[in-house]
Amino acid sequence: MTELEACDSCALNNSAQLLKLGINVENADYVIALAGNPNTGKSTVFNALTGLKQHTGNWPGKTVTRAEGGYRYQDHKMKLIDLPGTYSLLSTSQDEEIARNFILFGKPDVTIIVVDAARIERNLNLVLQILEITDRAVLCLNLMDEALRHHIDIDERTLGKELGIPVIKCSAIKKQGIPELISTVHQVATRQIICKPHRIKGLSKPAQKMVEKLDQKIRKNYPGLPNSRWIAMRLMDADVDIIKALKNGDFDQVLT
Amino acid sequence: MKEEDTQDLLDLASELRWEVGENFHDTLVEGIYADAAQIAQKTEIKQGEPNPYSFERKLDQVLTSKKYGFPIMILILSIILWLTIQGANYPSGLLANFFLEFLHPILKTGATHIGLPWWLDGFLIDGVYLALGWVISVMLPPMAIFFPMFTLLEDFGYLPRVAFNLDSLFKKSGAHGKQALTMSMGWGCNAAGVVATRIIDSPRERLIAIITNNFSLCNGRWPTQILIATIFIGALVPDGLSSLLASIAVIGVALLGVGFTFLSSWMLSKTLLKGEVSTFALELPPYRPPNLWTTLYTSLIDRTLIVLWRAMVFAAPAGAVIWLISNIYVGDLSLANITIDWMDGFGLFFGLNGVILLAYVVAIPANEIVIPTILMLTVAHLNLIGAGDGVMFELESTTETAALLRAGGWTLLTGINLMLFSLLHNPCSTTIYTIYQETKSWKWTVFASIMPVVLGFLVTFLVTQIWQVFH
Amino acid sequence: MSLFLEMKQLFAAMPPLLNLGYVLLVFSILLVVFILKKYQYSLRWLLPFKNTEKSITEDLLKQLYHVASSRRTTDFKMLSGALKIPERKILKIVESMTQNGLIKISGSHITLTETGRNYALSIIRIHRLWEKYLSEKTGFDKSLWHDLAETKEHQLSNEEAEQLYEELGRPRFDPHGDPIPTALGEMISETGTSIAGIPKDTVAKIIHIEDEPRSIYRQIIKEKLHIGAHVKILASENHHVIFESEGHSIQLSTVVASNIQVVPLSSQEVYEEGKVRLSSLIEGEHATILGISTECRGANRRRLLDLGFIKGTLLTLEYMGPNQNPRAYRLRNTLIALRNDQADFILIEKTQYDRTGSL
Repeated sequence: MTELEACDSCALNNSAQLLKLGINVENADYVIALAGNPNTGKSTVFNALTGLKQHTGNWPGKTVTRAEGGYRYQDHKMKLIDLPGTYSLLSTSQDEEIARNFILFGKPDVTIIVVDAARIERNLNLVLQILEITDRAVLCLNLMDEALRHHIDIDERTLGKELGIPVIKCSAIKKQGIPELISTVHQVATRQIICKPHRIKGLSKPAQKMVEKLDQKIRKNYPGLPNSRWIAMRLMDADVDIIKALKNGDFDQVLT
Repeated sequence: MKEEDTQDLLDLASELRWEVGENFHDTLVEGIYADAAQIAQKTEIKQGEPNPYSFERKLDQVLTSKKYGFPIMILILSIILWLTIQGANYPSGLLANFFLEFLHPILKTGATHIGLPWWLDGFLIDGVYLALGWVISVMLPPMAIFFPMFTLLEDFGYLPRVAFNLDSLFKKSGAHGKQALTMSMGWGCNAAGVVATRIIDSPRERLIAIITNNFSLCNGRWPTQILIATIFIGALVPDGLSSLLASIAVIGVALLGVGFTFLSSWMLSKTLLKGEVSTFALELPPYRPPNLWTTLYTSLIDRTLIVLWRAMVFAAPAGAVIWLISNIYVGDLSLANITIDWMDGFGLFFGLNGVILLAYVVAIPANEIVIPTILMLTVAHLNLIGAGDGVMFELESTTETAALLRAGGWTLLTGINLMLFSLLHNPCSTTIYTIYQETKSWKWTVFASIMPVVLGFLVTFLVTQIWQVFH
Repeated sequence: MSLFLEMKQLFAAMPPLLNLGYVLLVFSILLVVFILKKYQYSLRWLLPFKNTEKSITEDLLKQLYHVASSRRTTDFKMLSGALKIPERKILKIVESMTQNGLIKISGSHITLTETGRNYALSIIRIHRLWEKYLSEKTGFDKSLWHDLAETKEHQLSNEEAEQLYEELGRPRFDPHGDPIPTALGEMISETGTSIAGIPKDTVAKIIHIEDEPRSIYRQIIKEKLHIGAHVKILASENHHVIFESEGHSIQLSTVVASNIQVVPLSSQEVYEEGKVRLSSLIEGEHATILGISTECRGANRRRLLDLGFIKGTLLTLEYMGPNQNPRAYRLRNTLIALRNDQADFILIEKTQYDRTGSL
């Protein structure tokens, strides 16, 4: 625990919530979540970051497999949690529920979002949803070599500007881009980089107005909740889990 | 936040929901994709060739075609199974030699040396230790070959194509195409197959896949099938053809298992698990070269060792029980002999015998120890004096085994029925435990355990009756 | 041991043919069990628990409500016929219903009191909520919804119905397009006209499909007609109507067609001539998605949306499986396999247009 005290900037005020989600944070300075669509090479990124020092098990009470591992960077211990690969966080499959709950209630210090560089439009669906929930994220443009082979390149500076988060080009299988990813994640974790994540703009006018109205009410009740707009959208969609969480007061705990 | 405030918030939400209509979800997803399209357009730089995925397209057209799709699939799976069975022979032999021939006598001598009483020595070394040694040497090599190969195919992107090809068949039986994968995984190990059903989203179809996984002939049962087919079915024809006929018989049993998978899936989806319509949406990822070393490592850790550990935990007490029943005597007869005599009538009714039934009862923990147990019990029952009295063993040559079994009263009918019963009986206890872990339901665990045995008795009964009509 | 041995000897003593008889016996028992299971819904009237006094009372109230709302009258004989319950039993129950103030009898006419009307509405509410629940949260086939709700409506309490209402996001219509009464007994009414009565070349939208009688409903859903679908009348004659919907031309007899209610398209809606189902796309063809049919609901709909099957998306049918089902579509540079019954829900317009050559 001495190391914990040595780390002033570490945000470990959420350890109770994390423990509830089955994550033991005793030995970590920062908790990093790894999210992404299936088939984007997410597990390769996970292996590239952690080596083979990993632990697999089930999420508490669920049959979904969880892999966690760790790495050190500049005297900080990073704990990496591999979230289930999902296309979205809006449906209510077990996988999506776990990924959503972890980002929402577990409040990881950084969320790495792995996307397939050759299929960016399709992958952005999940990216934009995650950015509504958390404002600390790094985009890992994986499978860059494959994309280039198929004559697709990505202008990562524009992409970074559009999304409001750092974008790192990677090819995890060849370990390309991994050092940059590690240092960027560290900078986001230690607040050297502050993200200004993209917010969904494409809603129709009337829908946008209604979300706004609901959002205001939520902010009045929960001042300081970073993802009130997302919760407003979930309420508009009658998301049973979010309604239940509101009734249970789960969001009060997130704020403390 | 106060309760009334929450209620207030929810009321506002549902009021707005009424205004916007019931399709807010559509609006939201369309909105997100609109943003995504805009961003992608700004950042994607495309150069050159208009058709960048031509190789993958061609490969797909072959692998999923009407003409080649199924043959290629069967070929690949046969190669994997063949490599597993053949490739495991040698390391299995080495391990068995080490654990059973080399280490076992040393342990026995050691035990005598430190003056362990005969019963403790027998219980621990001839019972628990031998069962463990057997399970490790028979189970570890095939799994260490099968699982990595399977994972490589998965990483390459072939397995989703298998699900794609077979979905129409599974759809007809009310199940999900991904069950094709869990079924093939079951050929390696049913417990691993049951865990693999996690890839199926819908609870109903997942349950069907879990319950029917036992009809996939697992690694532990292939050796039994091969041995019995060689002894009883191969012997029907001249020597040159015997191994061919035996192989056909074993493949026939495996295919029968596939048939039972479809049949029982269909029955379940029409009765107990009626009602819910299947949905199927499967991404067919691009083909990618798999990461060889990581795959080898993770499939060894994640699948092989976990399953092996579970099997050992269950095999140890089974070894103890097997030793106890053959070494505790009531009057002149051992418990094993008493039970065999008692079960014999029942067994013969189904074209089996008391030895087989008792072997399947005590060998619930692992199918691997069925044959050694059968041999031990046969010897004990025939009251032959010599090696293996009250101890599990395997004979060096098939001919010796055949002679022993025939001395035990086995006929061609017994052989055929044993092969059928080996396919259709309760899952091993590792699998039963895994089914409970995955379903968290005693009801379904019991059902999944009992249903195949009932089916097994039904089928062997029918075979026996029909046999008697012609003999 | 001896018991089994005796059994064995017993069987062995029988002539072989008799053994075959046993085999047949086992099979026929299995067959009967299977048939009973398969047709359990159709054979439901055989079961004893259906005719409890409570459920008959509630069914009677519902029947009386429907009779009143279509401005007809009824008597014992008609009620007995409609509910398939002997007149004697109806008489007995009607008596206790009168005592409880649910109905009034004048001469042979039976009418609902205010209390009775409210009671009837609460049963209709539960019925329609349950159908909505089945359509949204479960995968039960729609031909089963009505029967399942018929049973459930007598089991759920008003509190449970309220909870269900909340969980479903306070819906207004059931999956057949019928309004769900509120807890206070109010009901929105949207009236359409029968598709059988409208002239040739009219375009309209289906707003209601009556789910009773079952045989007619089955015919309608076999044609894959659904609420929200646009139709165009091609011919309307005495005995049948021919119309087009989602690229399919459908002929229905007037009796069947009169169970489909339509309204004219609103000013924002346009009848799309080229609108067809994704399942009609052939290998190598391109298309633009126009939307997902309202018939596709719940998790299934969300799954399709998440995978990117949304309005305006370009896609190609890349190849079909060995049995033409499922089929692999390429959209946003990703291959996704769908079964044909899912592709039926996705409405498209075939196009030659190819944005970049690599969809």
